[in-house]
Amino acid sequence: MQRDMKKLYFTILLLLSGVVSLHAQNLTQLEGSFKTGPAIILIAILITFVLVGIFFRAKDPTDYYAAGRSISKVGSGMAIASNWMSAASVLGMAGMMYGFGYNGLAYVVGWTGGYVLLLILMAAQIRKYGKYTAPDFIGDRYYSRDLRIVSAIFTILISFAYCVGQFGGIGLMFKWILGLNYSWAVIIGSSVVLLYTLISGMIGATKNMQIQYVIIVTSFLLPVFILAFKFDYFWLVPQIGYGAAVTDIVHGIPAPNISDGAALLNAYGHDLSIVPSPEFAMPWDPSTGTTFFQWIAICFSLMVGTAGLPHVIQRFYVVPKISDARWSVVWGLFFICLVYWTAPAYATFGKLLSSNPEVGVLAKDAIVVYTAQLGGVNSLIVGLLAAGAVSAAFSTVSGLLVAGASAFSHDLYVKVINPASTPKQQLKIARIGTVLMAVLVTIVALMRLGLIAQLVSVAFSMAACTIFPLFLLGIWWSGSNRAGAKAGLFAGSLVTVIALTYFIVGLSGGSLPGQAFISYWLNVWYFAWFGAPLAIVVNIIVSKMSKPTPLEIKKFLAEQVHN
Amino acid sequence: MESSDQYNFSIFSPRNLHGRKNRNVIFFMLTIWAVAVFGFQILLKAIEKPTPEKALTLFESEWPDVLNGNLDQVDYHVILNSLLMVKGKNTVLSKDQQLLSVAISSVTFAMVPDSLRPMVIEKVAGLEAMHSEIAGLKDQEYMDLKFRIQDASASLVSILEPFTGYATTNLEAPILAASLQKDYPASLTDPSLDRLPDLMKLYLTHNQSVLTDTKFLGFPFHYFYTAVFLLVLFVVLCIVYNKLIEWRLNKEGIVE
Repeated sequence: MQRDMKKLYFTILLLLSGVVSLHAQNLTQLEGSFKTGPAIILIAILITFVLVGIFFRAKDPTDYYAAGRSISKVGSGMAIASNWMSAASVLGMAGMMYGFGYNGLAYVVGWTGGYVLLLILMAAQIRKYGKYTAPDFIGDRYYSRDLRIVSAIFTILISFAYCVGQFGGIGLMFKWILGLNYSWAVIIGSSVVLLYTLISGMIGATKNMQIQYVIIVTSFLLPVFILAFKFDYFWLVPQIGYGAAVTDIVHGIPAPNISDGAALLNAYGHDLSIVPSPEFAMPWDPSTGTTFFQWIAICFSLMVGTAGLPHVIQRFYVVPKISDARWSVVWGLFFICLVYWTAPAYATFGKLLSSNPEVGVLAKDAIVVYTAQLGGVNSLIVGLLAAGAVSAAFSTVSGLLVAGASAFSHDLYVKVINPASTPKQQLKIARIGTVLMAVLVTIVALMRLGLIAQLVSVAFSMAACTIFPLFLLGIWWSGSNRAGAKAGLFAGSLVTVIALTYFIVGLSGGSLPGQAFISYWLNVWYFAWFGAPLAIVVNIIVSKMSKPTPLEIKKFLAEQVHN
Repeated sequence: MESSDQYNFSIFSPRNLHGRKNRNVIFFMLTIWAVAVFGFQILLKAIEKPTPEKALTLFESEWPDVLNGNLDQVDYHVILNSLLMVKGKNTVLSKDQQLLSVAISSVTFAMVPDSLRPMVIEKVAGLEAMHSEIAGLKDQEYMDLKFRIQDASASLVSILEPFTGYATTNLEAPILAASLQKDYPASLTDPSLDRLPDLMKLYLTHNQSVLTDTKFLGFPFHYFYTAVFLLVLFVVLCIVYNKLIEWRLNKEGIVE
């Protein structure tokens, strides 16, 4: 295995060195035609992913779902980080800060703070419970076939909503690199990610995720060091150095901006100057159209959603030991933070570099790549950055497709439809489920319903309203029973349906009673601030009023999970 | 015989001493987490004050003169500068940008002598045409036109410099050049500009407090706290939790 990995790293190096030897032309237009260097880097990385998938392919259903429980805690941490850091983290988050200032930080805090909840309340207990998937746990804990089916459907829906944003990000980057239109870019990108997920299953995907993490973090950090150095900020730790740039944006920089006798210019030759723009950093600035309530609601929904995402929870089944489940969260969070500390720097430099009206307001979801371009970073490094973003989307999509396929085959087909199925049949069904889901996601992604980070937030709110309460109460309260779980799930689902309905109606230009009220207070990006607590309260009330949890479940929880 | 009640537990009432200690650790961690995240934002909200930018203060001091039609060249310059300070922000909505462009054009042309106006309007029309053309171009053609636009903008700003006071190297110069349009109202009191005072207030007022005005490692403090410190805290909380749990498991001789 070690030798295989070495061979693989050697192949990657060889492919990348071939790319580096090509002389790069300077990128002069933010959106242009086909870009040779970045395209070769992207293709090299995609070939690597497929090779990894082939080397470490799934041989039986256990491998497919849970990587044979053979992944170390650091490896699992990297896989968690890679699986987590999607197009929303790498592309969308900086875009939110670029467009909405301080309110964009709600995404940074929400998507990291949720790991504290996950660790303290879930990770080890989930591993101790010893199931493969979220519906497995829910069906078993609440001794209900119906709940297994419903939670499997929600797992698929959550994975689906999450995937839509990722496919959008893939489309944007393929469009940028290959000079294709958005639709073709989404179709090609989704075909490739589908191909290697099918070949590999999760065991290949986990190895892929470790490699992807290295690519994501390297490609994401490198341009920021260059930008900080180039524009005279503290470049040794640009995650701190960009702070002075934030202050410069707040107070404004007069032109011409000269450092050491030379003017600081963007790639178009514009001065690195800006009018005072406190709205970039000041909290819930009125001009960004955001409010304090929205900051809190987004942050809360993302945090709780993190602890309820089936594909994240599922990662705790793949570590060999219970302590590994805990430490893999720490490693995962640390690896995630390396990128999350850096994302605001892109928004900040992007703001400075696009301040000239001739540049204009940049497309938020592509701000990371545009910033590097406007900063005059070498085109191959910008290409690597774009390939890293694709990598991030790919790693997440592969995890999501596996989670969705697991729910489809393991929780619906094997446990409900055909319990006598053979491992071969199960694997076949898992693969059919993956294909179906990828095709449907591609169709929805082509509609471009919102910004990447916002689209992904829907999945978080959905998970927070449905899966999270079932796990939280299922683990921490023996009194939570089948009736309570069903009622809680119904309440959470109802809030979800209301938020989605009003969103869809609003999007199509229609209006329902209380449209403005619901669109603000139960907005589709953050409805979990209400839905999750409601589901918990309803679960508790109904559980108190109905037949108690069976003895064997209580005994199992007390002796196996909490002893 | 086993009773169902003997296995009852919740996070609030664990079954044994180990569980109670576990619960205390969890609650302690969750309290730190919640206060650090939400407590800070609530504090930020509680002490914030709507604070105007200098450009708004100056604009509002000149606005009564605009209404009275009593403006001299210095007043025009103050108003133009305030308008440019808003137009230069790239968070401005496109409909508001349009209104600002109209206002900027109105003020600028009021500062330019009648004899020069046709030439300036011609240059502005040329720029407008180039801006429409560039949208459909790619690669080298795009860059060529982009540089031609820069040259034309610089030329326009140079012509206006004696009246506006902005040289081509000034921060305001490209904003002015990009804002001017050939159709504009004669005065800022034109009904099409009714929204202007509210718009200026919207974009030039910010929620500030001692937490936003204090600098820390170059950052506004609140920004550092949220973007950097909270993430460090999350990692530290996780490490401390794991260490505490492992220490307790070892101490109590529990093997998971």
